Amino acid sequence: MISKKDFKKISPWLWEIPKDFRADMRVPARVYLSEKMLEEAFRDRSIEQLINVATLPGIQRYALAMPDMHEGYSSPIGGVAAIDTKEGIISPGMQGYDINCGVRILTSEWKENDLKAYLEKLANEIHKEVPSGLGRGRQLKFSIPELDKILEGGVPYLAKQGFGEKEDIESCEAGGKLPWADASAVSTHAKNRGRDQVGTLGSGNHFLEIQKVAEIFNEKVAKVFGLFKDQIVIMVHCGSRGLGHQVCSDYLREFIPLMINKYKIKVPDREFACVPFNSPEGKRALAASGAAANYAWANRQMITHFVRKAWKNVLGDRGGKLSLLYDVAHNIIKIEKYNIEGKEKEVAVHRKGATRAFPPGHPEIPQKYREVGQPVIIPGSMGTASYVLVGTKEAEEAFYSTSHGAGRTMSRHAAVRSLSGREVVQDLRRRGIIVKCYSFRGIAEEAPLAYKNIDQVIEVVHNAKLSKKVAKLLPLAVIKGE
Amino acid sequence: MKKFEILEHKADLKIKVFGKTKRELFENAMIGMLKAGKYQKNPKSQISKLKTKIKSLDLPSLLVDFLSEILYLVETKKLVFEKVEFEKFSDKEIEAILIGKELKRMGVHIKGVTYHELNIHQKRNGEWEATILFDI
Repeated sequence: MISKKDFKKISPWLWEIPKDFRADMRVPARVYLSEKMLEEAFRDRSIEQLINVATLPGIQRYALAMPDMHEGYSSPIGGVAAIDTKEGIISPGMQGYDINCGVRILTSEWKENDLKAYLEKLANEIHKEVPSGLGRGRQLKFSIPELDKILEGGVPYLAKQGFGEKEDIESCEAGGKLPWADASAVSTHAKNRGRDQVGTLGSGNHFLEIQKVAEIFNEKVAKVFGLFKDQIVIMVHCGSRGLGHQVCSDYLREFIPLMINKYKIKVPDREFACVPFNSPEGKRALAASGAAANYAWANRQMITHFVRKAWKNVLGDRGGKLSLLYDVAHNIIKIEKYNIEGKEKEVAVHRKGATRAFPPGHPEIPQKYREVGQPVIIPGSMGTASYVLVGTKEAEEAFYSTSHGAGRTMSRHAAVRSLSGREVVQDLRRRGIIVKCYSFRGIAEEAPLAYKNIDQVIEVVHNAKLSKKVAKLLPLAVIKGE
Repeated sequence: MKKFEILEHKADLKIKVFGKTKRELFENAMIGMLKAGKYQKNPKSQISKLKTKIKSLDLPSLLVDFLSEILYLVETKKLVFEKVEFEKFSDKEIEAILIGKELKRMGVHIKGVTYHELNIHQKRNGEWEATILFDI
């Protein structure tokens, strides 16, 4: 059993399990947690799962876990592995099934007091306009050639078709389009699943919220991001839906026999199924992962289009613009360069439930934000606070990665047992939050008490300098798919 | 005999499935997955039948691949399956007819059938058991 004594304290926010803890570890494992959160982490198997990540061929520096870490499958959620593209592997399971599950924020020109009278109507209209994609609401169906263009063209393609603006493109991580995407690496099965799910929210922890800026921590950066106190903003959280899930399943299925028989790679869990990054099969997996990531960005873009429509339906021309502040990915494989042991190395950063957070001056962030750093969006659980932060140069030691949410502490099953959806909705309403959903069960599963306290997670993120606080957002209306 | 039970897991969906035979285990895994995921049928709809063929590396992979294929068919053919008639069944290959009704709605969108700590085994009394984790 792993216990606190196996950890070396690097700082009050960073703990390390040395490489010699288990014979198959290739690098140490590091967790960004407060002492109290570390003690709580032993309640599930997330640390053991992180040690498994440390065994992956080609992993550089450390296997990392962010402050919202919790038990997953293969890697813990909140896991980051930077893998040498020359010597290492690519692992679809280390990215997860919901490829490019992520979050974006749209900023409005409105203040809370002015919008109050329209809030209920807006929430209803958004609920009506944005389909869940689980059997209710609007259906859009694309042909396979159109879908291929989305897979390779991402947000820029949709914007060109009239579903977005030029500024939406530059305000997405990677410009909403990964260049290594290749639609021919995506199976027909995956494409069939994706044809009618562009612009759908999905289920589980995916949601859309109308929020207000409750507190500003850094006036200068907030101004650059276009944020001000009491401002109304809209947050969208969803991923690549059935298409991304199928891509991950397809490559896991293909890689298990390849890993065992052809490449003779040993991993502690089949879910890590991998092949050499530079092998023909590895290159195809990257191309497919990129295509699924583009699909997810396109999905959030289409939802943005529907939200803008709902906004206009309710507020008319007075509504003004809904501008995209930024869009970040949570589950993704990205090619980045780092100085490792004095040499520049190209690595495939596998982030599973972690957000990229580039520092000021980084060439991959939009010109308008370059001086201050990349906007980082960390959503809380449904009905609790969310945060906007900014990337730091200190996060280089974490391959410029940060948290992606609050992190669960209670199973969905336990949450449903201990609270009814009706009670959760009533509690949210008492706090003045409007809730629009199809099922009370879905609400109970996502009850705030099932998650870590977001404020504590953000304190660790901020103190460990993984990113710095800019603004705190509070929900006014929650809209859920199912 | 109980077909399946839901086990505790912090973030995802874990089920334990039972069967007197391997075939029954596979059928109950399908039923357990769709029931636990709250996939609802339109009870008044017509019965539909679909044929499926799957080849895999070994028995654990066959179970995952079978369930992944079910998820694909549920989503694209809009059907909820309730019964399986196996025409061929070995540790590496299945040919089967899936029988079900029209999908009304999904409660949870199951994202993936994972291989994580997948356990499928025969007990001393000859019955079969499997534990499966789904990403939701």
